[in-house]
Amino acid sequence: MNAQPYVPRGVTTDMGVAVAATLDYDAELMLRVKGGDGTSFGVLLEKHRASVIYFLYRLVQEQAVAEELAQEVFLRVYRSRSSYAPTAKFKTWLFRIATHLALNWIRDEKHQRSRERLDDMAWDLSARQVSDGRPSVEQQLLGSVTRDEIRQAVAALPEKQRAAVLMHKYEEMEYSQIAKVLGCSDSAVKSLLFRAYETLRARLAHMGTT
Amino acid sequence: MNCPIEDRHPEILVAYAAGELAAETTRALETHVAGCAACRPVAAGHIAVWKALDAWDAPPVSPDFDRRLYRRIDEDARLSWWERLVRPFRLMPLRQALPLTASAGLLLMAGLLLHNPGVVAPAAAEREAVRAQQVENTLDDLDLLRQFGAADSAENGHTGAL
Amino acid sequence: MLFDFSWRTHPGFRLAILLALAVAASAESQPEQEKPAAQAQPADNAIERWNRMSPEERERELAKLPPERARLIRQRLWQYNHMKPEERQALLQRYQAFSELPPDKQEIVRARLREFEQLPKERRQAVHGEVELLRLMTEGQRKAHMNGEEFRNRFSVPEQRIIKDVFQYIPN
Repeated sequence: MNAQPYVPRGVTTDMGVAVAATLDYDAELMLRVKGGDGTSFGVLLEKHRASVIYFLYRLVQEQAVAEELAQEVFLRVYRSRSSYAPTAKFKTWLFRIATHLALNWIRDEKHQRSRERLDDMAWDLSARQVSDGRPSVEQQLLGSVTRDEIRQAVAALPEKQRAAVLMHKYEEMEYSQIAKVLGCSDSAVKSLLFRAYETLRARLAHMGTT
Repeated sequence: MNCPIEDRHPEILVAYAAGELAAETTRALETHVAGCAACRPVAAGHIAVWKALDAWDAPPVSPDFDRRLYRRIDEDARLSWWERLVRPFRLMPLRQALPLTASAGLLLMAGLLLHNPGVVAPAAAEREAVRAQQVENTLDDLDLLRQFGAADSAENGHTGAL
Repeated sequence: MLFDFSWRTHPGFRLAILLALAVAASAESQPEQEKPAAQAQPADNAIERWNRMSPEERERELAKLPPERARLIRQRLWQYNHMKPEERQALLQRYQAFSELPPDKQEIVRARLREFEQLPKERRQAVHGEVELLRLMTEGQRKAHMNGEEFRNRFSVPEQRIIKDVFQYIPN
């Protein structure tokens, strides 16, 4: 007899087989949450927690805020379980909630302040890059400068372009999914993304990185 | 291959940097880009953007994220009852709101006592401390026993252990 | 003008007092109605006692463990507390039977259930089905069945041991 691989109890993340299954698996889990199965909520949380937090972090660029917003995302998911209907992929719905909360936060709270602070940093970083001449340190600097520069460049994008880039790049979401999240057409998403990447390219070129 | 920039389809260069093009299209585009003064810097720029985005790590998730979330969910389940009760009275004139709020408050207190005994502080004698290890052992045993429940068996589609 | 009312005569406060009296009367009778259900509850276990601890006490205990282990315990507790009530009730009744066993028998059951976990899915289904079948039989039927050739042919020796011990010690 061939034994099944042992799955430690309490570890609900071992979904290696399930993850590879249907695209509707998450929606199916959410329907079970709707039916009162708390275990399935834990499974969904385990699967999507990190990607939601990372997405929100890159969108709002403050870790504490990202985690607070992520808490609100999952709280809303749980709260709306009784009325949940799988009209879209679960991930699309999840990121729609996340994007909505993040864009509200950005607009209401700290958008302008972040821009001013990061724009100031950009000049300092550009000067540092030009003046440094040592190869090994330069390589290190270029690595960290590139991360800081890309952070600033993304932060400088209009919010919807920012969200579209992050979903496209890090979540590998399709245009149609991003369109549903942002409430626009597929062609509008393509246009949005192209403008965003062009802006990033131009901004990094201006900083001397490209 | 036609020049994407001349053809007014520069988004192809973004798709190229993102690795979204089919292998054959990629090869054709690379051949074109190598010889096109307009496309070369644009393609290089987008590749640099993509690499920079790759290098942008996010900080790790706080270890107590789940704990805080579950606590919020539990609190939300209790607060939402109160919120639903209070919300209609917020915009009322005071002479109407006062007696109604008093009634609602009395009902709320009664409701909490009747239906939410968890809100009432437990008797001191019952609050013996339990070690987390004991809880874990009990959870382990429950997991094992759950396999033989008619409604709980894995064969019925149960998604995970406790 | 906003406060131009009398405590005794304002209809809203009369209503409040009436409602309070009605609710108090209802509250008086409630505990008696609930007692029979409470008496049917399985005996206390570590999780129920844990749930009665204050959040601060619980966090203090969990802080003694490595963060990942504490996180998993929290998650498993949440899932337990959010099981369907009838499922939890059935599980706790089974647990009560188990916890009343002497420690050495508990260890036997644990060992058999761990072995059961390791079986391939089809064999788990077969073994589980067999235990369910035994629960439906009379004592005499069970003995005859388990001594019969069909039982010995259908199940390997380790599987037979799982079936016998699980049925013997967890009959429901």
